[in-house]
Amino acid sequence: MAPLKHLEMENSIIDECFRDFCASHGILTVEDFLLHDLYELAAFAEREANADRLKEGITVMLSLIELQCRPWLNGMELLEDLQRNKHTLSSGDNGMNSLLQGGYGEGQLTELVGPSSSGKTQFCMRAAASVAEKQEGSVFYIDTGNSFSARRIAQFICGGSDAAALRKRVLSRISCHTVYDIYTMFDTLQGLEVALRSQVQMNVNEYRLRLLVVDSISSTITPILGGSGSQGRALMVALGYMLKKLAHEHNIAVLVTNHTVGAGESGKTKPALGETWKSIPHVRLMLSRDNRNSNCTISILKHTSMFLCVFVFFIAFWPNSEDHNSLGQSTMSITNFLWSSAGFT
Amino acid sequence: MGEHEARGWIRSDETAKQMLSRVLGDRAFLLLPPLHRVPLRAGNVVEITGSSPTAKTQILIQAAITCILPKTWNGVHYGGLEKLVLFLDLDCRFDVLRLSDMLKHRLLEAYQSNVKTQDKSKIVYDEELYVSCMKRFLYLRCYDSLELLSTLKTLHYRIRLQEACGSQVGVLMIDSIGAFHWTDRLSSSLALDKNNRKSLSLTNVVETIVQEMKKLMQVHSLVVIATKATIYEEKYPTNENNRNISSHSDLFGNPSSKAQQPPFREFMPSSWQAFVTHKIFIRKSDDHHKSLGQQNLSAYLLEWLQPQLSSIDRFIVDDSGIVIVSKHTQILFHVSSSHAVWYCHCLMT
Repeated sequence: MAPLKHLEMENSIIDECFRDFCASHGILTVEDFLLHDLYELAAFAEREANADRLKEGITVMLSLIELQCRPWLNGMELLEDLQRNKHTLSSGDNGMNSLLQGGYGEGQLTELVGPSSSGKTQFCMRAAASVAEKQEGSVFYIDTGNSFSARRIAQFICGGSDAAALRKRVLSRISCHTVYDIYTMFDTLQGLEVALRSQVQMNVNEYRLRLLVVDSISSTITPILGGSGSQGRALMVALGYMLKKLAHEHNIAVLVTNHTVGAGESGKTKPALGETWKSIPHVRLMLSRDNRNSNCTISILKHTSMFLCVFVFFIAFWPNSEDHNSLGQSTMSITNFLWSSAGFT
Repeated sequence: MGEHEARGWIRSDETAKQMLSRVLGDRAFLLLPPLHRVPLRAGNVVEITGSSPTAKTQILIQAAITCILPKTWNGVHYGGLEKLVLFLDLDCRFDVLRLSDMLKHRLLEAYQSNVKTQDKSKIVYDEELYVSCMKRFLYLRCYDSLELLSTLKTLHYRIRLQEACGSQVGVLMIDSIGAFHWTDRLSSSLALDKNNRKSLSLTNVVETIVQEMKKLMQVHSLVVIATKATIYEEKYPTNENNRNISSHSDLFGNPSSKAQQPPFREFMPSSWQAFVTHKIFIRKSDDHHKSLGQQNLSAYLLEWLQPQLSSIDRFIVDDSGIVIVSKHTQILFHVSSSHAVWYCHCLMT
């Protein structure tokens, strides 16, 4: 936050003697101002010669802080914002859509957890293809493991008479960025945020960004986690909040993938990134693949408004290269299954 | 000092009865289900701890609904407090649809129980009441500790503005007080070591938060309810290793240490721990609740740590909110010859 002398230009009351008074109490920036007891400061100001001016300065500081705060929204305004701005994006797969009652929510962070080759990247690419083609939006795809394939996305696009032109248009709406470490990730996301904010000001409405995919987030975070130090986890939390902020303020659906680790003595697998990461995504989905008959099973680990821990089977037939018309014929059967909780929480 | 003044000084201001009636009128007891086992008063700070996901936000939403509903409306009794709820979302995961659905359920339920003769399928909730209730729920989200501090510093003036419109604030809810724990800890390790300057460290931030909240509570009569997600994995084995004869083994934990140590690793600084007056712990229950229909819902156990109650509530979360399914009571027997403490659990429905 800004040092106090930068505020002098617009607020003449924050002059040299006010700043000296603050410095004598260890307040040099606006940040320090937030950490101090203002009534105590006002009491100290009473003793000074120019008490009134100093107290006026404190009031001006407080009003500046208030300007920076967000306004309180009531329940009706929240609902209005939800209905007007935050729609659900179809995931491209009927099974996933019916599980999530529509698809991935804009303004929400959805996490796909699964062991390797369980289909997470396929779901990501499927979502990107669906958003770019059917929902008239652009996609920002962050790839950390070189698994992005334009050819595969082209296969997901239903062809028509002018298949080539459609493919070209759709693929031009997906921008792929390779990121191999967390600092580049922060850099990329901050650049995106600046671009989005300037877009809002210019009212450019052509194919606004609707989906942000990070595949996979765990490969950038896992190298820095570990040990008892707080640096790794702090960076992870900061990244999570940056994604949530982007999702909420610019009405984007964020999709991230995570891998699984073994759970110690019980032997079952659990999502990686630990206990702190559990509080960050809105929706967590666990994917598992049955290798014998290419069935993909998705179960909800956490959802903000769904509480049935139902084990839902999705039988999704992945299209192979010739058969790109039969996209995701899936059937859903809710069976009376006991949800095994060990290793999933 | 003259005799007259001395007598005036000794004479009482009010009797005990007058004082009690004044205090109970100003700061009455609130019963907020599902936290209704212990009546809460203005000035209490309740902390709900649990790992993720254990329905903590659902508890907050349910308590909020009780707060925003009116006592009666158009002849129907709702049993609410008709006060404002301030919801500080530090987790940034709040789903307003869930609040809206639960509120509609409550309105329908109360209306249905009141009007018994009409055709149930035609009952619609009162739209005007719904809107007025939703308007009493105020929400703000903070993405880091500095935003939280700015909000708390300016909260007093904003509450004043709201109270000028006639409504009083009842509850301040904070979803996940430990949300910025790691980022603040990192700031502490990077802090500048200049003398006289307070650094943005974890202890300083939490101390300032507690200070600001104390000041708020002096001026406005409100209850603070905060949730806290555990950030360390549970060290105390609850199920696998301690399996006993009874199927309710998840309630045992480690018998000898249960009374002394909290069942989770505390990470909030001591200034926050001293500020909290009531503590609740929630964990997932081992066995699932078989409801009507085919689905199995996961059940959770709600335990009051401070004040320590001997009963543990078991609840499930369904469409209408939190439903308490059963209550477990612990009866302690001391065996005189050895140091072993035997726990006996009775199921009381």
